[in-house]
Amino acid sequence: MIKPKCLSKLKSTSKAMKLYVPHVGHLEGLEELLSGSDDIYGVYMAGTPDYVGTGRTNLSAPGLEEITEQNAYAHKMGVKMEIVLNSSCMGGQHLTPGGYNRVNWYFNQLNNIGIDSITVAEPYFIEMLSRDYDMEVVVSVLSFVDSPQKAEFYESLGADTIVVDPVVNRDFEKLEAIQDAVSCDLKLLVNEGCLYQCPLRYAHFNFFSHANGPGPKLNVLDDYYYYKCLSIRINDPQQLIKSPWIRPEDLKEYKHITDTFKIGGRTHFPNWILNNVRAYANESYEGNLMDLLDCPRDIRDLFYIPNKELEGSISQWKQCNKICNKCGYCKRLAERIISIYSTEDSENILKPLKSD
Amino acid sequence: MITETLAKNRGDLENKMRNLLAKPVFIIEMDAFALPCGCKGTTINTRGLQYDDLEIFEDHIKKYLGETSNNLGIEPSFLFARLIPGTAEVASLNSRVLCNRCYMDFAKGNGKRPRPDIYIFNLTRRE
Repeated sequence: MIKPKCLSKLKSTSKAMKLYVPHVGHLEGLEELLSGSDDIYGVYMAGTPDYVGTGRTNLSAPGLEEITEQNAYAHKMGVKMEIVLNSSCMGGQHLTPGGYNRVNWYFNQLNNIGIDSITVAEPYFIEMLSRDYDMEVVVSVLSFVDSPQKAEFYESLGADTIVVDPVVNRDFEKLEAIQDAVSCDLKLLVNEGCLYQCPLRYAHFNFFSHANGPGPKLNVLDDYYYYKCLSIRINDPQQLIKSPWIRPEDLKEYKHITDTFKIGGRTHFPNWILNNVRAYANESYEGNLMDLLDCPRDIRDLFYIPNKELEGSISQWKQCNKICNKCGYCKRLAERIISIYSTEDSENILKPLKSD
Repeated sequence: MITETLAKNRGDLENKMRNLLAKPVFIIEMDAFALPCGCKGTTINTRGLQYDDLEIFEDHIKKYLGETSNNLGIEPSFLFARLIPGTAEVASLNSRVLCNRCYMDFAKGNGKRPRPDIYIFNLTRRE
């Protein structure tokens, strides 16, 4: 049985924009988050990795009692609760009788708790959740929905909402085609700083899924993908501009696509998350764009990208054909506006990326 | 204070490396450590530094690392880089005063790469 399209089990809201916000996973963090802003429509956090892992790192693994407590608190505050179980690779465990029963049992517990929505990447789970449970089924960004065809496929499996792959965040023709092809809700991830067309993307998320999943646990020396990801940017800073983030000021360009936006960053302090909420709720940010981006966390103390100087770039990106070697717009923009933090006499100073 | 010394040397080494390599190599963390086995030293975690940089500019990097080590009061008897094995990426630069047991592990061979993740700049042999 396929559920009716756009089936919304969530409470209605008067807020014009629906902001989904990361939550580190403990009650104290949630209290700090929700007391710090009235602009949060929903929060999301990982569950325990014992059943289904997640495709990103997490600071906590709340058990069912903790999820129950936090779900009740979120609802008391009028905020939706979403659990993210977006492992991009289950290693086939869910296809075994024992694995299926474990996952099914966990979904059932979350359903009984009254979780509003559940985000998964595995197509099997989308169909399973859609058929047997009341929770809103959200297709993860790690399902890499980047075309109308893929969106239709996930909708037919029972998706209520699709988080579109950010790789098409600046491809408006594709976004509009996706929106036209399906009736379910769309959500856009605004601040993922991943490399555009990243060659490491699938391998890295699969690695995380195993590292943050039911096991067996890996004895890993180094996260190669993360080192490489940072190294690529340090050796070629134009990649920072080409990453398909959406500036707070540019949200208005997307409102014909969706009114639902997601801020990434489950491993950040509530203060960092609230800074993002303010920026995206106000659709304006004065300062370093790197402050807002989730992924290249380690290098936010290396690069300074004055957000306001990116004003108008969206016009170029809206008509960009993504053939970078012929265009060079992002490279020139990077050279013009990016500065590098440097230490001189124990003081942090900014130096231009490209000296004349 | 040791933290001030670390902060100053972090910035100085980063600037030297950037001037040398003409790219914004990033020293993401510089730590002083003491291990239960008796080894002590400094670990300098880098991002953007690559294996080719070590090979081409080995003399310069070895000199800078030795100076940093001296500034921190660590005898630069064992200077090495830690690599992500099989890749171009350098994870850290290190200066370590080895305990006797670890010295034997590293001193056994003669090459620069006793392990896939180690690139030795300098190992002062003991009598």
